[in-house]
Amino acid sequence: MDELRAALAIARKDIRHLSRYRFSVASSIFTPLYQGVLPALLFGASFAVGGKVVGLEKTIGTADLAGFIFLGGVISGLVATAFWAMAMSFRNEMEMGTLEPTWLTPTARETLVLGRALGGMFWFAVGQIGIFAVGIVFFGLRFRWETAYALPAVFIATVALVGVAYLLAAIVLSIKDANLFIDCTNFLFATASGVAFPVLLLPGALQPVAFALPTTYAMDILRQQALGTRPLFDPALEYLVLVVTTIVSIPIGLWAFRAADRRIRRLGTINQH
Amino acid sequence: MTTSLLAADLRALVAAGRMSLRQLRRYPTSFIGQVFWPVLLPAVWVLMGQAYSGGGDARALDAFASRSGTTGVTLFIFVGYAMYMWLSTLLWGPGTALRQEQMRGSLEAVFLTPASRLVPLFGPTLTNVVWVVFQLVVMGLAVWLLFGVALPLGGVLLTLLVTLAGLPAMYAMGSLFGAAVLRFGEVNPAVQFVRGALSLLCGITFPIVMLPDWAQLIAAAMPPTYVVAAIREALLKGATPLDLAPTAAILLGLAVIFGVLAVILFRVLEASARRTGMLGRY
Repeated sequence: MDELRAALAIARKDIRHLSRYRFSVASSIFTPLYQGVLPALLFGASFAVGGKVVGLEKTIGTADLAGFIFLGGVISGLVATAFWAMAMSFRNEMEMGTLEPTWLTPTARETLVLGRALGGMFWFAVGQIGIFAVGIVFFGLRFRWETAYALPAVFIATVALVGVAYLLAAIVLSIKDANLFIDCTNFLFATASGVAFPVLLLPGALQPVAFALPTTYAMDILRQQALGTRPLFDPALEYLVLVVTTIVSIPIGLWAFRAADRRIRRLGTINQH
Repeated sequence: MTTSLLAADLRALVAAGRMSLRQLRRYPTSFIGQVFWPVLLPAVWVLMGQAYSGGGDARALDAFASRSGTTGVTLFIFVGYAMYMWLSTLLWGPGTALRQEQMRGSLEAVFLTPASRLVPLFGPTLTNVVWVVFQLVVMGLAVWLLFGVALPLGGVLLTLLVTLAGLPAMYAMGSLFGAAVLRFGEVNPAVQFVRGALSLLCGITFPIVMLPDWAQLIAAAMPPTYVVAAIREALLKGATPLDLAPTAAILLGLAVIFGVLAVILFRVLEASARRTGMLGRY
C-alpha cells in the first residue's frame, strides 16, 4: 500500500510538473500533428486516384488513410511514453541532481518507474484525446464500434512497455549519451512495431525483430478492429503472443533494472552524467 | 584603417569557425546521429511510400507522378530528407549558437571584444557546411546500397553546385532564426516549430501541389523550396546548369533579403540588450 501511495505521489508530481509548462502540453498535441500526421496524410494523398488511396487498400485491405495514420500514432505515443517519460526521466533527474536524494528514500526503486508510468499515461491520454478530436473534426476520422475489442490489447501492450521501460532505465542509468540512445531506439522500436507501415514491408532480416515485439501485435489488433485491415496472423494467436511477450518482458526488465541499481551503487555513479 | 579592421574581422570569423570545428571533434558520438538519421528517416518514408502505392501499383504511381513530376519515389524522398537534415543541422547548429553562448555565459564576453557583431552571427555557419556535405555523401550511399538507386554523375555534380548556390540563402535564413531565438529564449520548441513548418511548406516528403494555394505562396518565399526542387530536377529529370540558372538567381536574391533582415534584427536586439542588460540573462 505504501508503494502504491508513493507511485501515485510520483505520478501527481509529474502531472503537476508538466502542467506548469502549458506550451509543452499544447505542443504534445500539435507537434505530432504537424510533424507526423499532416506530412503522412499529404504524402499518402499524393498517391490517391479519384480521392481514394487504392495503393493502401491493396497493401492492407482498407483505403482509410487517416485511420491508418492516426492509429499508428496511438502505439507510437505509447512507445514514446515508455522511452521518454518512464526511462529517460531518470537521466533528467540525474542532470537536475535530484536522483540521488530520491534513491535515498525508503521507496522501492521499481516503484519509481511505475509512478512515472502512471504520470506518463495521463499525459499520453490527454494528448491522444486532443489529437483524435482534431482528427475527427478536420480529417474525417471515424472508427468502427469493434474498436472496443482492441482496448485489452492496448492495455496489455502498455504493461509490456513498463517491462521495456525497466530495461531502458537500466541502460539510461549506465551510459553517458542517454539522449541519443533513447532517441534512436525509440524510433527503431516504433518503426519495427509497424506504426508507419505494415511490418511485412520490412526487410526479411528485420521481420523476426518486429514479431518479437508486443507492440507489433497490439498495433495489428487495433487496426484490424478499428479499420478492418487484413491481420498478420490469426487474431487469437496474436493475442496469445502479445500476452506471452508481455509476461517475458517484465522479469527481464526488472532483472536488468536491479542489476543497474546494484552497479551504480557500487560504483557511486548515481550523480554523474 | 578600414582594410585592417576588415582583415581582423575575417581572422575572427575564421577563429570562430575553428572553434566550432574543434567542438565537433570533442563530441564524436554526434557522428552516430549524423549517420543514423539521414539513412533511417528517409528509409521509413520510402517504405511508407511502398505501403501507400500498393507496392508500386501503376495507377497509384501515375497519380503520384501527376503531382510530383516523377515516379521515382525513393529518390524524391531522399532528396527531401537531405533538406530536412540540412535544416536540422542549420537550426540546431548556427541557429542556436548565439543562444548557447548566452546560456554558457560567454555571449557577453564575446560582445566585449572589438570584433564585429557579425562574427558571432555568421561564424558558426562555416563548420556547419561540413555536416551538410557529410550527410549528402551518407544519403547518396544509402539510397544506392539500400534501395539500388544509382545517382547519375552529372546529377551529383549539379547537386553540389545547387548546394553551393543555396548556401548563402540557407545560412542567411539560419542567422535570422538565430537572432530571433536570442529574443524568444525557448530554443527547443522554436527549432521544432520552424523545422516542422518548413518541412511542411517546402516539399520535403510530398509534392508542393498538395498544399493549399496560400501555403504554396509562402513556400515560394523560402530558400529550401528552391534547393529541393532544383536537386530533384538535377537527379530525377536530368536538368542542365542552364535550366537551373533562374533558380540560382532567385536563391541569391533570397540570400540578400534574409541576410539584411538578420542583420537588422540583430542590430535591434543588440540595442535593446544594451538598454536592458539581457545578454547575461536566460
